[in-house]
Order: sequence, then C-alpha cells, then structure tokens
Amino acid sequence: MSVQYVPTVADLNEIVEQVWASYLDPEGVNPLIPVESAADASDIHASVSITGSWHGHVVVACSNAAGKLAAAAFLAMEPEEVTEADLIDVLGELANIVGGNVKSMLPAGCFVSLPHVVSAPAQANHWPAAVQVCELAGLWSGESIAFSMWQSRELTGEAAA
Amino acid sequence: MHAIVIDDSRAMRLILRRILGQLGFDVVEAEDGQAALNVLEGMEQKPDLALVDWNMPNMNGLEFVTAARDNPQLREMTLVMVTTESEQSQIVRALAAGAHEYVIKPFTSGAMVEKLALLGLVPSGASL
Repeated sequence: MSVQYVPTVADLNEIVEQVWASYLDPEGVNPLIPVESAADASDIHASVSITGSWHGHVVVACSNAAGKLAAAAFLAMEPEEVTEADLIDVLGELANIVGGNVKSMLPAGCFVSLPHVVSAPAQANHWPAAVQVCELAGLWSGESIAFSMWQSRELTGEAAA
Repeated sequence: MHAIVIDDSRAMRLILRRILGQLGFDVVEAEDGQAALNVLEGMEQKPDLALVDWNMPNMNGLEFVTAARDNPQLREMTLVMVTTESEQSQIVRALAAGAHEYVIKPFTSGAMVEKLALLGLVPSGASL
C-alpha cells in the first residue's frame, strides 16, 4: 500500500544547495537565487520517476541558456562549446542526483528510475497522471531553473485528467 | 595508481576523472557495469580503485560489485560506491556485496579526497 507523503520546498532547497556547493558553484559566489516562479524554465525538462511507497516524478526544468551554463560548469568548458548530448547528460544527472536524494527522504521501499530528458516546452504536459506538489524556482546567472515534485493523482486523491 | 570510473553520466565520469587525475591516478572509464567488466578483462594491470555508480543501465553498480568480488583477478581492487542511494539499507547491501566504502552524491572534491585518504589510497591530509 502506498504511503501518502508530500515533500516540501524546504526538502528540495536543502538538496539543491548541496548540488550547487558540489558542482555548480563550489566557490560559493554564484548561488541559485529563489524567485516566485520561473516561467522561462521551460525549454528542457529532465526527470526521474519514483515508484514504490511513493509514486511521482522529480523534475528539473530550465531555459536553454541555464542548461548550457550547468553543463559548462559540470564539464569544465565554455557554454558555447556545450552540445545537445552534453545538455542531456548533465541535466539527466542533475535530475538523478536531486531525485535520488528526494527518494532518501521518502518512506523506505522506493525505487528511482534512470533519468529522462525532454527538450520541449512545458505545455507539452509530460506527466498527465501527476500533479505538482512543490516547486523551487530560481535564477542562476539571470537564467531560470526550477526543481519540482509531481505526485501521482492516485495519492493526492485527484482523478486523472 | 590506477582507477576505473564507472558511471552512465559522462559529466560525472569527468568530475571523478578530474579529481583522481589531480591526485595522480591514471584513470579509465566505463559507462555501466558490463562495460567495466569488459574493459577490466582486457587490462593487464588491474586498477587499484573502482568508483562505481549504482543506478546504471545494462548492469548496475551493485551487480558489478558482486561480479568483481567473485572474480579472483579483481579481488585486490578497492570498490567505492558513488551514488545517490543513501538509505541505510542500501548502504548495508552494497557493503555486504563487497563495496569497501560509500560516497553519496552530491559530493565535494574535498569529501572524495577524505574518503580516499581513509582508504589509504591517497596520503592523509591530501588536498586538491
């Protein structure tokens, strides 16, 4: 039987701060600045799915420019040098790290999928059987990035659209 | 010293290669457990260290650790899981399968160096 659990923005924030300190801003000079919403974070969506005692998705969404900045930071190259394959690899790994750490906050008995990266706008509605339960939106070097959690409608009690 | 980095993310392999390279390791890479076994089979001098992701396609890290422990030629290789799997039960599974240490992603370079120092693979107090 699935356990009802609603992760919070604070959970996401704690994980994201560790990711920034480890890979994207190890010098601590260019943090993610929280904002109300990151409407521009809609070019690329990387996600992992979690199943087991909690069902849902952890999603990293960003603008193309933010994705290139992240890939450049991970791969120690200039943003102009970043290829589509680099973007997919780095954003997939970001989703994997954030999703894996979210999983550790959930009740035992969860499994996390391999990452899935889609280069398409948000209105493509990638997760029709889930509703967003929390989002951490931010600006990084002026570019939009959002981390969100989507919970199965079955757990929220909502009917699927 | 020689090391193999096993991770399906090229970015993560690059980060780990960079850290190990600065510590003086010669590094080879593989993108999953099966690819690593194939690479290792062809190596005359087996690596001293393997950094192994857990969640990978084809053969995951736990399966690789189990296979490596069953292979007499790889018995001397130190196995470190580098993964987001941070539940106590998962750590216990990995250690029981034969992993020597466990590093949870995200990690800083300093944390990785400290872990390798604890394993005696780099001098105590080493830094990048």
